[in-house]
Amino acid sequence: MTTVSNQPAAPQVAPRGARHDRRGSWVPTGAMIATRFMELRKRRGLMVALMLVTIGIPTVFLVIRLLLHAFAPHSYGPAGGYTVFTGLVAGVLYVFGFIVAATLGATAGSIDLTEGMFRHLVVTGRSRLAIYLARIPAGLAIILPLVAVGFTIVCAVCVFAAPTRLNFNGVNVPVNLSRAGLESWAADNADEVICNFGFRIGPNSPIAAAVNSVPCGNGPNGGPAIVKQPPGFQGPPPASPTQIKDAASLIAGMDYADYTRQFLYPSDSLMIKTGLWIGLEAVVGFMVGLGLGSLIGQRTVAVIIMIVLEIILTPILSRAHLPHLINLQRSVVGLAVAHLEPNGLGFVFGGGGGPDGGRGTSLLVPESKTVAAGVIVAWLVVWTVLGAWRMMTRDA
Amino acid sequence: MTTTTLPDSPPTLAADSQWAVETHGLTKRFGENIAVNGVELLIPRGCAFGYLGPNGAGKTTLIRVLLGLTHADAGTMSLLGYPVPKQRAAALARVGAIVDEPRFHGHLTGRQNLQLLAAARQPAARDRITPSLERVGILHRADDRVSKYSMGMRQRLGVAACLIGDPQLLILDEPMNGLDPAGMHEMRDMILSLVAEGRTVVLSSHLLDEVERTCDAVAIVDRGNIIRQGPISELLAGASLALQVECSEPDRARALLDATTIGANIQVGQLGLGIELPAGTARDVIAEINRVLVEGGISVYRLQQIQASLESWFLQVTSRLGATE
Repeated sequence: MTTVSNQPAAPQVAPRGARHDRRGSWVPTGAMIATRFMELRKRRGLMVALMLVTIGIPTVFLVIRLLLHAFAPHSYGPAGGYTVFTGLVAGVLYVFGFIVAATLGATAGSIDLTEGMFRHLVVTGRSRLAIYLARIPAGLAIILPLVAVGFTIVCAVCVFAAPTRLNFNGVNVPVNLSRAGLESWAADNADEVICNFGFRIGPNSPIAAAVNSVPCGNGPNGGPAIVKQPPGFQGPPPASPTQIKDAASLIAGMDYADYTRQFLYPSDSLMIKTGLWIGLEAVVGFMVGLGLGSLIGQRTVAVIIMIVLEIILTPILSRAHLPHLINLQRSVVGLAVAHLEPNGLGFVFGGGGGPDGGRGTSLLVPESKTVAAGVIVAWLVVWTVLGAWRMMTRDA
Repeated sequence: MTTTTLPDSPPTLAADSQWAVETHGLTKRFGENIAVNGVELLIPRGCAFGYLGPNGAGKTTLIRVLLGLTHADAGTMSLLGYPVPKQRAAALARVGAIVDEPRFHGHLTGRQNLQLLAAARQPAARDRITPSLERVGILHRADDRVSKYSMGMRQRLGVAACLIGDPQLLILDEPMNGLDPAGMHEMRDMILSLVAEGRTVVLSSHLLDEVERTCDAVAIVDRGNIIRQGPISELLAGASLALQVECSEPDRARALLDATTIGANIQVGQLGLGIELPAGTARDVIAEINRVLVEGGISVYRLQQIQASLESWFLQVTSRLGATE
């Protein structure tokens, strides 16, 4: 046995190598990200739930439509197409993608604490900030591919199972016609065009007589009781077949702009923009969920808060016109993301681009795209800072 | 100047301090409650050090402060010579610790949990996962999910988590919890082998017998204060002296001894007397007791000195403390 004297502590000199220990760095290592990815990926229940929502729901919906169309094509339309695409993207992927991303984020932000691993990680001496930041790429590496797979399935079905003829105002119209081509086709299908296409003419319009001489079959029992009449029309003057064809051509010309915005299936450009937009929504959901989960240290409460925000508060605040709270409404992240919705999609929360290419009146609280982008960046930064701050200051 | 006895094997020094743990005036408050009260603690390198105290004494809080799991309100501290929190990362790079019960991600295997922790350490830690699992005796269950582990296996996994960092200082908070007798024996052997390798092991425990068998030195903490610290042998030398006397007529024997100036605390039992003498009592007093009894006509069948144990000493210390309050 040896004996040491109880002298005051010797000078404290850092050993060689300590200076090169990057453990205090806030930058997470690849190994930290990889193992965090593994930890999240191994959560079977969570992964199944994520896949069910991001991939399962759209897949089941589309499979059912494919089967119905295959067995009863006259009763059920094609599974895919432009309309189905916009509906699925704006109605399912947007909202549920946010929620599942938030759930994953809240899990990543809180689970070390609730399962007792946080203490082990802190004792390694690794920077708490690095431990927090490692969760971001790990979580995004899970949620973004899942959303991408779900979105790809939607795109594939909507493109490859799209209708072969364009349904414009209830009329099957050939696609990709020029203005002259559409007018010519309209002349050959004058009755359908006059009865179904939208148009607005005055009482003294030269085509008024022709329009009113066409029985549209929208009366009782499908009879020709009701004829379209412009306001102030006095009586049914006779119209020749040529006049009727000319009227149909004129109407087709008036609707040509709308016609060009109708697609059998979404364009490549729209799909790319939409994919990026859905991805942005997932990133926002994950980052906010991560920060909130870390801040309150509890997953369930964080997820509930995120669901309430997305399903209840955001739709209400996006539509309600509260003059004194308009800036508060604009600061809601869901509303900001909705303002960045690509033109040509269905309405989200009553706003966005809309099926008419964004020409329609948005029901959203007005907000410029610049402000919307600023709000999104602010949410990402603020919640990341809050989550990291709590992580760094929390007792382990 | 006091002396501290250390094992022969020299530790691998990380810094030039001779202390593995050094605190001065360390204080931690929770509101009005002072959990750690101006603690002065010196733990030499390369020994097994017991950290004892009743429940709620502040043992775990002090460990948490040392490891940076919570901040100190006052005082200074260093681990392996590195001032904490200033050089906390460098210090903890050489420290392994279990605080409270070891908890892990239940959905991961033991090996995967260690991979998660190794990734937060240096790259070499990953190579130590299998040897660490083997050393704590759970390599055969390494690929089972932790949710299927018993408490004892989690304790072992916790120790393995410490070992992957090749620590010079291990701080183990109640490592015997959940272990069966054989497991406790293995854990004790492992702690001793770690010390033999030159590592310092700080063992916080309420199992005094285990601490006495395992540790070279101890500190007793109560209500946030360290009330004693030093090598066990030195501390026990300061314990009171106990004698067991088997004799005839115990009541008269007590009366005889009470009439002397020996100053013993005497209890009468069925077989004789239990005598407690103040610490530092000379051995001649034992002979004097025997002489008084024999000259008084008492038949003395057996007179035995009871070796003071850490447990009895601990109870003496804490009961004295309680008596003064």
